[in-house]
Amino acid sequence: MNAAFRFRQTWVIARLHLGRVFFSRRSFWVYLLAMFPAVVFLANGIQMKIQHRWVPSRATPVALLESIQEGAREDEVIEKAGKPIKDRSFQVKNKKHQIRHMRYFDGERWWDLSFRDGILQRKHSRRIFNFTQDRLAFAGMFQFYYLRLAIFFGCLGIFANLFRGEMLDKTLHFWFLAPARREVLLAGKYLAGVIAAVLIFTVGAILGFAMMLWPHHAAQVTAYWQDQGLSHLFWYASAAALGCIGYGSVFLAFGLLFRNPIIPAIVVLFWENINGVLPKLLQKFSVLHYAQSLCPVPVPTNDSMPILIRLLISPADPPSTFTAVFGFLIVTALVLWVASWIVRRLEINYDTD
Amino acid sequence: MTAPEIVFHEVSRFYGEVLGVNNVELKILPGITSLVGPNGSGKTTLMNLLTGLIHPDRGTIMVRGLSPRDPERLMRITGYATQYDTAPRSTTGFDFVSTGLILAGNTKKQAAELAWKALERIGMTEAAHRKVASYSKGMRQRVRLAQAIAGDPDVLVLDEPLNGLDPLIRAETVALFQEFAAQGRHVILSSHVLQEVDIISDRVILITNGMIVAEGEVHGVREEIHEHPSQFMIRCRDASRVASLLFVQDHITEIKLHDDRLGLLVMTRDRTEFSRALTEISLDGYTIESVMAVDANVDALYKYLIGGSE
Repeated sequence: MNAAFRFRQTWVIARLHLGRVFFSRRSFWVYLLAMFPAVVFLANGIQMKIQHRWVPSRATPVALLESIQEGAREDEVIEKAGKPIKDRSFQVKNKKHQIRHMRYFDGERWWDLSFRDGILQRKHSRRIFNFTQDRLAFAGMFQFYYLRLAIFFGCLGIFANLFRGEMLDKTLHFWFLAPARREVLLAGKYLAGVIAAVLIFTVGAILGFAMMLWPHHAAQVTAYWQDQGLSHLFWYASAAALGCIGYGSVFLAFGLLFRNPIIPAIVVLFWENINGVLPKLLQKFSVLHYAQSLCPVPVPTNDSMPILIRLLISPADPPSTFTAVFGFLIVTALVLWVASWIVRRLEINYDTD
Repeated sequence: MTAPEIVFHEVSRFYGEVLGVNNVELKILPGITSLVGPNGSGKTTLMNLLTGLIHPDRGTIMVRGLSPRDPERLMRITGYATQYDTAPRSTTGFDFVSTGLILAGNTKKQAAELAWKALERIGMTEAAHRKVASYSKGMRQRVRLAQAIAGDPDVLVLDEPLNGLDPLIRAETVALFQEFAAQGRHVILSSHVLQEVDIISDRVILITNGMIVAEGEVHGVREEIHEHPSQFMIRCRDASRVASLLFVQDHITEIKLHDDRLGLLVMTRDRTEFSRALTEISLDGYTIESVMAVDANVDALYKYLIGGSE
């Protein structure tokens, strides 16, 4: 029984678990979590495309809209720019003030005009196709939602069930009675979870990225693709994959240790989210610390944000790419070593589980 | 060469404060060995300890020279049909049997052949490709047995293996155990069907409250229990007189006269002395028509040993 034989056993166990991980009823919401950004960006893209096709017939010349100044009266604006695309009025503060919002479109941008008591108070324009803004929106979505929530809870669902689910189903003894070392069983289950999670979440990230690019002008997308696009996509996919590998090891161990892994998972979620304000040494014991460092586009922050929020968003001391990947793998290996120690001592005692 | 014995040395196992088994000292030789005891007596705990599903708090276990903490090697020579009535989700009977064989290093083709052979052996080929979840209790029992024997193990451990089997399959299963035992392998089973254990076992291990109270061949076990008064039914013409002659013997603990006054139920602590006394009574001219031990089967021992716990 050499290493090659044990690798074969690991692969056999992984293969047998893959179908269960991909197609179980429990996996349904993992797909929902993974595909949510793609769905959001797809919906946004569709809306942009529809708006772009529908509104040009009612476009107002941009020079005309730029000439409208704050302080102008409602009737002057309507006389100048014509009937708005959207027009909404309401009263505030015990019906003392009349508020009115009007929206115009110049073919590329939305113009929102806010009036109080018939006087223009604020004028704001926003491009329909704002590539820079969309890329930042994707970066925000990836760091706030995808890494912190989707991958976190998706991995919790996949990996915590690999052992705990079988304990609840009273089927774990089947594997413990196989002629394989417990570490091999752990490796096989982990491999199945990693393959499934990495595939689901990297595909989710790539699809989200593709949906973010889709509505924009082909020339703009090609230029981005030739410049940084491929590299950005690679690092988003890598961060997602490494997130799955890291969180997977943690939740696999939790499935072995805890009857209800949700509670310790919430503690980890808290730990991960306060990572930016922890001492440097403690920051290293975090999946998010490394995964966030790999993200190619930093989430925009500004000075008006509370300092705590800014610290939570970006790691206080982001490691280099090499350190991030290496540190990540070290932390994962450490957690898996602990998990293998636990699984060697694990007993089948369903009555008490 | 590995020792063909299963050895429990001072093995204790507790579940929190609840005793599983206590200070078990056993040496099990090849052949059919039955673990007999009431529910909760520790039979399954012993089997789980033997196969490494649980570990002892104290003591050591060796199965033909292998430690139960080394499943990679142990489960190559061991097949265990557990009492757990579940198989992994969506698993067919065939997959259930063949998976362990693939993990043991067989190719898919070899594993399929061995699995099919095992399923044939227990008459489960027709339902082999159905999901285990759809099986009846008896079918699940049989497929677990097929999985246990598929690897042609030297040690076959079977928890209540005859439960839920119809008489025909039961007879075939018993024949299978006997065949394994005849080849010098270990067959260790637990059962509540004491008559069957009595018939098929080479040895019994009587266990109650986590302690081994007797072990050995069925009759040997009986001899081991010196404290237990043996019961004999004597048929004779002058039962009252024979009773009075026996009653003066120290080893006689109880005598009951049969209603027809032609029979006695005698309890003795010493079978040898009892036999000598009966010979003397016969020589004195009393006609003893028959003497029959009424508790030589396991059931009687079992009832005696577990006393009020049953």
